[in-house]
Amino acid sequence: MEINKPRKLPIGTRIKEWGKAWGRQWQLQTMVLPGIILMIIFNFIPIYGLTLAFKSYSVTSTISSSPWVGLQNFQIIMKDKYFWQSVQNTIGISAIKLTIEFFLPIILAILIFELKWTPFKKLVQTITYLPHFLSWIILGGMLITWLSSNGMLNQVLRLFGIAANDNHILNASSYWSIASLSDVWKEAGWGTILYLATMSKIDPTYYEAAEMDGASKIRQIWSITIPEMSSIISLNLILSVSGLFNSNLDQTLVLMNSQNQPKAEVINSYVYRVGLTQGDFSYATAVGLGVSIISVILLIITNTITKKLNDNQSVL
Amino acid sequence: MKKGTMFRGLATALVTLGSVALLAGCGNGSKDSGSADKSGLPKATYKVSKDTPAWKKDKTKMTTLTWYVNADWWEKSFGKDEITKQIKKDLNVNIKFVTGDDTKLNTYFASGNMPDLVTIGDPNSKVARTANQWAYPLQDLANKYDPYFFKVARKDTLNWYKIDGKTYAYPNYSNTAADYNSGKILPRDAFIIRKDVLAGIGKQDFTTPEGFVKGMAAIKAKYPKLTPFGFNDFSGGNSSLQNVVQDMLGVPITTKANKYYDRDTDSDYIKWLDAFRQVHAAGNISDDSFTDDADTFNEKVANGNYATMMMGSDVNHGTNLQDWASKDSKGEYVAIDGIQSTVGREPTLSQAGISGWLINYISNKTKHPAKAIQVFEYLLSDKGQMLTNFGEKGKMYTQDADGMVKWTPFAKDLQLNHPQEFNKKYRIGEFILFGHDRYKALNKDSYVKAVWQMQDWGKKYLKPQFKIENIAPNPGTQEARALSAIQTNWSTTMVSLIRSKDKKSFDDTLAKYKKFQKDNNITDINKTRNDNIKANMKKLGQD
Repeated sequence: MEINKPRKLPIGTRIKEWGKAWGRQWQLQTMVLPGIILMIIFNFIPIYGLTLAFKSYSVTSTISSSPWVGLQNFQIIMKDKYFWQSVQNTIGISAIKLTIEFFLPIILAILIFELKWTPFKKLVQTITYLPHFLSWIILGGMLITWLSSNGMLNQVLRLFGIAANDNHILNASSYWSIASLSDVWKEAGWGTILYLATMSKIDPTYYEAAEMDGASKIRQIWSITIPEMSSIISLNLILSVSGLFNSNLDQTLVLMNSQNQPKAEVINSYVYRVGLTQGDFSYATAVGLGVSIISVILLIITNTITKKLNDNQSVL
Repeated sequence: MKKGTMFRGLATALVTLGSVALLAGCGNGSKDSGSADKSGLPKATYKVSKDTPAWKKDKTKMTTLTWYVNADWWEKSFGKDEITKQIKKDLNVNIKFVTGDDTKLNTYFASGNMPDLVTIGDPNSKVARTANQWAYPLQDLANKYDPYFFKVARKDTLNWYKIDGKTYAYPNYSNTAADYNSGKILPRDAFIIRKDVLAGIGKQDFTTPEGFVKGMAAIKAKYPKLTPFGFNDFSGGNSSLQNVVQDMLGVPITTKANKYYDRDTDSDYIKWLDAFRQVHAAGNISDDSFTDDADTFNEKVANGNYATMMMGSDVNHGTNLQDWASKDSKGEYVAIDGIQSTVGREPTLSQAGISGWLINYISNKTKHPAKAIQVFEYLLSDKGQMLTNFGEKGKMYTQDADGMVKWTPFAKDLQLNHPQEFNKKYRIGEFILFGHDRYKALNKDSYVKAVWQMQDWGKKYLKPQFKIENIAPNPGTQEARALSAIQTNWSTTMVSLIRSKDKKSFDDTLAKYKKFQKDNNITDINKTRNDNIKANMKKLGQD
């Protein structure tokens, strides 16, 4: 793209111009200052800690005094079978979660939105929100009991004449479904809030007009509700894709056991185990840094894609 | 115009205020550069004597010490209960306890603002291994301020924690070889069975793998509602099925040449794992035992859900065992001979080793080194031990001529009818930072009645394992990483072995694990372990 370059002005003049403009509104500009300072302190200065990834650090030394080791930590990552296993699990579990947890709240929100009897609507909302407010510590404990050999699931299965004696949480091959489905159950209701808020802002005259034109309920949803929500849907998609590597630490720590570990260990729990439990901070930082870089790349990719889908307008 | 000025003023004020508030938070990060110079220790302000505890002579005014305990459960109050009130009075010291986890500990180190006293739990950690960089050597402090310390501290324990010739730490519950021989250290592991079940199933032999499998089947047939075989929960490690079973079988801790011995792949032990596999295949081990957390396991013990158990650390489960015994005196658990070596070895039960449990340090940043060593000396002395274990003499306990302790009727009534007050107001047996079993053993009531028989059962089998304590490679090294991978793999492998459908998949799983060990430099790890065993033996005077 060829843009008329305002750069024709000499650099000194441009800075002067900029300074003048800034001077005219310095009161407003300085109001940003606390925010900037806050960000410098809590977001930028800690970046210095990332140098740990290239050092060999131990608790009793400081970040600056520990020796540089170059890319050694990253080389170890490349060879670390447990790390790659955890990457695989993270992506696997997140992908399932992403697919279901992206679509389900939209559908659920539309269903709730279409409910016309308010008391029932409120009841449904409350019930679906509820699990969100329980921590994984409690919920995990419940799940372990439900999925144990004499737990609720097996008892229900037995009611239907299915012989079920397995302790499901010990079964590595079913861990991905347990982890993702339980997370969907916990969060789907909560995920509807943004959508419901958006839908309540849709002008009701659209629906009235559509009804007059003889559009069915499904048609109305398809042609009015969903297009009206498109920006919030794509925003949610971007956020959840960039969170693909952000596996759920609480959930993993509660549900993981020695038998399902090969399928349950995710990047976060691995970093936690290596970094905090074993005190290998440099290595854990290197893993964290690598994951952040991949997450940023994912964020950019999804943003580009949604921009294309969204008439070249970024929602970020 | 006026409006504009007001706005400008307001904006400036807001911004300044905001920035100042933010920056103030970071202002006091100045590092204390007071270095660890040993010669820099201030002079004692009193006359130092070998025969009198220094706290009796030190007349300085009330000193406040900060004591960081790396355990969230530690009770932080000081000077409110009868015991710490007495400590405060005797030592003229006020202690401010801070508790936390590893994150907090690391923050202390990173900031350089160290507390006066530090207590940690892991002798293998980097913090413990580099103590000479951040703590005072106890010998230096004792010589300078309180030589009576050498009278109350155990020489073996001091030797054990030496780094380059000086000791930086003193742990609680550190058992020396003399303690093991004294008979005052009680075992804590046993194969236990419900008394009613034992009587109900007729004669069974739980000592051999074949008999064990048969015995469990007999229990299942007679008591279908009970789970025949149970073991400790897996939440904190590999339950009682690893070390505890190996100790029961007397699996050696080193080779004859004092080299590292891989107890996990010992053939005797593997034979027993195979027996557990058969028990599991017959449905006599519940899969839930592998996923139960500590609370669930405790509940099952307190309800007598298991017919038999490989019980690790019965003392820690004493309350639950006692609960069950009081609910159903006929079904009380008793220890019997079971799970024994197939090659004729005797059990070698272990207990807290010479490394102890919680490890106490005096930071070299402390401004009150004299008071700090006095605290150590006081708590280690007879006076301190009797106080923290039993409270005030006469009021809470009486002592016989042979040294044995009995609760007074007052204390007994308190313990029985007002346990809250017993714990809160009197804090009996709770201030354990320098605790030791040899004092606990002075009073039979230190342990609940339900475990007495179990302790008696194992008394003759206690054997120290000092040689192999803390022999793992240094954290952060390639060997440490490989070892952690191997241990993770073993946890999965061990449970998989027991849950194998048949002998063939059992053997395959085991072979896979052995290959995994090889692929992860087990030989390098074992070399480090061998070196560490050698160093340990030198410290123990066994070389």
